Amino acid sequence: MPPVDPPSPVPPPAGPQSDPYVTTPALVPLRSAAQAGDWAATRRFLTGLGDDDQAYAVRMLTEIDDTEAYLERAAAENPDDPLARTLVAARYVVVGWNIRTHSRPQYVSRDQFTRFHEWLRRAEELLIGICADHPSYALAWNARLATARGLELGQSEARRRYDRLAAHHPYYFASQRHLLQKLCPKWGGTYESLHEFARTCADAAPPGSLAGALVADAHMEHWLELDEPADGEYIASPEVRDELTEAAARSVLHPDHRPGFWDVTCHSLFAMALSTGGHHAEAAPHFKALGERFDRQPWGFLRGDPESQFVNHRTTALTLTS
Amino acid sequence: MPENTTTVAGAAQTGTGDAAPPSAVGHVRETEVCGIRAFLAAPAATDATATDAAATDAAAPSEGREVSAGLAFRVGTVDETYATHGISHLVEHLALHRQGMTEAHYNGATTSTATVFHVSGTEEEVVAYLNGVCASLRDLPLDRLETEREILRTEASGRSDGPNHALPLWRYGAQGYGLASYTELGSWHLDADAVRDWARTRFTRGNAVLWFTSDTVPGTLDLALPDGEFLPTPAATSALPVTPACVHGGDGVVVADGVVRRSVAATVFADVLGRALYTDLRRTGGYSYTATAAYAPRDAEYATITAYADALPKKQDAVVGGFVDALARLRAGHVEQSELDSVRAKRLKAAESQTREPDALVVSRAMNALTGHESLPPAQWRTELEALTVEDVRDVARAWYATSLLQAPGRGADWAGFTEAPQFSAPESAVTGTRHRSIEDAEWTLVIGDDGVGCNGPGDRVTTVRYADCAAVVAYPDGGRLLTGLDGFRVAVEPTMFANVTQSRIALIDRSVPPAAVVRMPKRDPERIPKPDVPAAASTAATPAGAATAAGARPARRSRRRLAALVVTRILALFLAVFAGLLTLAELTTPDKDYVALVIAWVLAIGAVLLARRLMRPSRRAGGRTRGRAAKS
Repeated sequence: MPPVDPPSPVPPPAGPQSDPYVTTPALVPLRSAAQAGDWAATRRFLTGLGDDDQAYAVRMLTEIDDTEAYLERAAAENPDDPLARTLVAARYVVVGWNIRTHSRPQYVSRDQFTRFHEWLRRAEELLIGICADHPSYALAWNARLATARGLELGQSEARRRYDRLAAHHPYYFASQRHLLQKLCPKWGGTYESLHEFARTCADAAPPGSLAGALVADAHMEHWLELDEPADGEYIASPEVRDELTEAAARSVLHPDHRPGFWDVTCHSLFAMALSTGGHHAEAAPHFKALGERFDRQPWGFLRGDPESQFVNHRTTALTLTS
Repeated sequence: MPENTTTVAGAAQTGTGDAAPPSAVGHVRETEVCGIRAFLAAPAATDATATDAAATDAAAPSEGREVSAGLAFRVGTVDETYATHGISHLVEHLALHRQGMTEAHYNGATTSTATVFHVSGTEEEVVAYLNGVCASLRDLPLDRLETEREILRTEASGRSDGPNHALPLWRYGAQGYGLASYTELGSWHLDADAVRDWARTRFTRGNAVLWFTSDTVPGTLDLALPDGEFLPTPAATSALPVTPACVHGGDGVVVADGVVRRSVAATVFADVLGRALYTDLRRTGGYSYTATAAYAPRDAEYATITAYADALPKKQDAVVGGFVDALARLRAGHVEQSELDSVRAKRLKAAESQTREPDALVVSRAMNALTGHESLPPAQWRTELEALTVEDVRDVARAWYATSLLQAPGRGADWAGFTEAPQFSAPESAVTGTRHRSIEDAEWTLVIGDDGVGCNGPGDRVTTVRYADCAAVVAYPDGGRLLTGLDGFRVAVEPTMFANVTQSRIALIDRSVPPAAVVRMPKRDPERIPKPDVPAAASTAATPAGAATAAGARPARRSRRRLAALVVTRILALFLAVFAGLLTLAELTTPDKDYVALVIAWVLAIGAVLLARRLMRPSRRAGGRTRGRAAKS
């Protein structure tokens, strides 16, 4: 845990919780620093984290509204610090994406796209400079994977960016998830490349690391692309189940796994993918690890309220295994 | 890397003056031969700086000795107009026509800034060649003109364009250095008077240099040429309002150029850039097979540095990305000292090996003198090269980038800070005059006015060529007129493609354009006269191959499906409107009126009309990009 101000008192979670600042109270000091415009505390918090936690924390930070000004000021005052400049760019990406929204392209207006691309170009220009100065700086390459997707720079360019990052950070989970998105058919990829990438990353990563969750991520994306009833048959198949359980055993369920900021996301992915396929017993360990915590994103892919979906599937899984 | 040359020849190598080997420049002696500035390779033992009188020039020819020589004139494509483009090349061909078959190796070349005649052989052969060239220049075999014009056109059709072929037109327009991108229109129409006049005024004693790879020239040399002034290279034009700029190009090619001051640092930067691209795109990424950069002097002061990488279509986005990152790295000054040292060592080694081959030095000195560039004294060249730092290279990288023009396939490069080069004329440049609707696409209108012609589409999509700024007007006997402005924008006035383009409108264009810009073409093959591609014409045949280029700046064609939808809804709208009208009339005469049926009929009719109108509007996706400038006529 980074040496920061004493964490603000957080009431113990009552009932299911999806707010990341509640499910992961260690992030609260970062939010406080951002809201106070305190660059020194922000920097102290972020630089005290490992790669994966840091990438997660940066994502949380850049989603806090109106942080551009203090980050821009920090970048101007610390021109040699790649962190400040990267955060500005990463924030621009989020500002742009908020304008675009996460809807399918046909529901996004021309004006939204224009403004979205403007923000991404501003971000990209900063990031080109940061990567030129610091070719092994993971956070900048990670942000450039988001700009590559938003600016539709093509599969080979996204892959090049990932490869440049992986040359120095072979198991960088946040970027693996970015590239995985790009490899989805909706962004111009193929199912084959999507699953192959997920498996390759999962196999290559040391036991207990997060990469196994990419397998769940890939199956979720595949399931989302399919129509009924093919989607249900797909996610229920024993092949998918076996891949999921094997990947889970090597990652978040492995004894070497160290808890971190991504745990709620990863367990949610496994729990959701296995439950949707009807593999409740296999989903149970993930529900146990989650407790009252859940990530709205994968659960939101199911019809209805994410919280009810989480609670219902958890009840089924835990009842069957109790 | 191909240079801005119209012919591929040895003269292209003469542009290496900035890398002149140090120890040997001094072995070149400057003098005058037949009233022409001359450069002779002095023997190593003689005083290197000697520029004494022509006392030794008239030596007796020594039997059988192999020498090389060249005669170069400061005239090239940069001095031509688009309408006369190829005239220097024609003079070069005509001047060489009388050269018989000999054992001597000789050739001619026309570059952007020079026309060069060079030869290697025995002294007798060299003298015969040079004397023959000058005799021909004094009295060109103009009976050959028709044939040589045809040969030029054949030569052009067989020439393959380099990857950087289109860059000059985007940077400079359809004039000066931009003509390197264009076909030699002069080969279609130049007459004997024009060619003779060009030779008499440009191929003169005062506008030439001679080089000889021996310390004396034979007394039998007779290079009598007309008197004339030295003609400096014209100032470069610009068609790029903002740089760094980008344009879209074909698959598989990423190419960029930039213009920097000629310097030792710039030659080193070109090498460093080539190595950086090779490292990033080939060795590390494996995205490209070829990744390189080259330095070529443009004029006395400036050089063009061109960077190029090829790519498989599947990998080309990564090539653009890697290209952008390599440029950013050099701009930020991230060049390994070892990289700089190895480039420096390579340059020094090349210079030393050239010292043993002094011919290249004489050529380099002579060609530099021709463009008015001062060759660097040897000691200074070495000192500058040795003193060069990473910061110097970085400064050139920044200067180069600031002027750069990048041609990228696929998605382009606007995302990386390159501003797209203008695709249309400024909207305020639009001319007024008679309006002629496009038969193919109602959104586009041809305007023929008193000041110029324009092709106007939806929004600000305006292409204008003012008569006064016309680089060339290609005129076909069938009435087709292709006007190209000095800025490179084109308007195709094709009577078959626009409504009511009458003889008198064509006559107005012919009266208004500068007579010197008109290129009268022979009758076109009917297959090459563009035909409108609309369902009304019931023609599903493909457009003739030549039509797309002949029409020049043309809007992207509406998709067939869209057109079909438009036609169907129009017919439907018409049918429903007529039906509703008839129903209304019928109802008026009936005492027992059915208002519900009337309302339904009218709602349907109005709906269909609105739908047809909506389809008429530009579709966001089908809007497409129009290339306002094109290289080929």
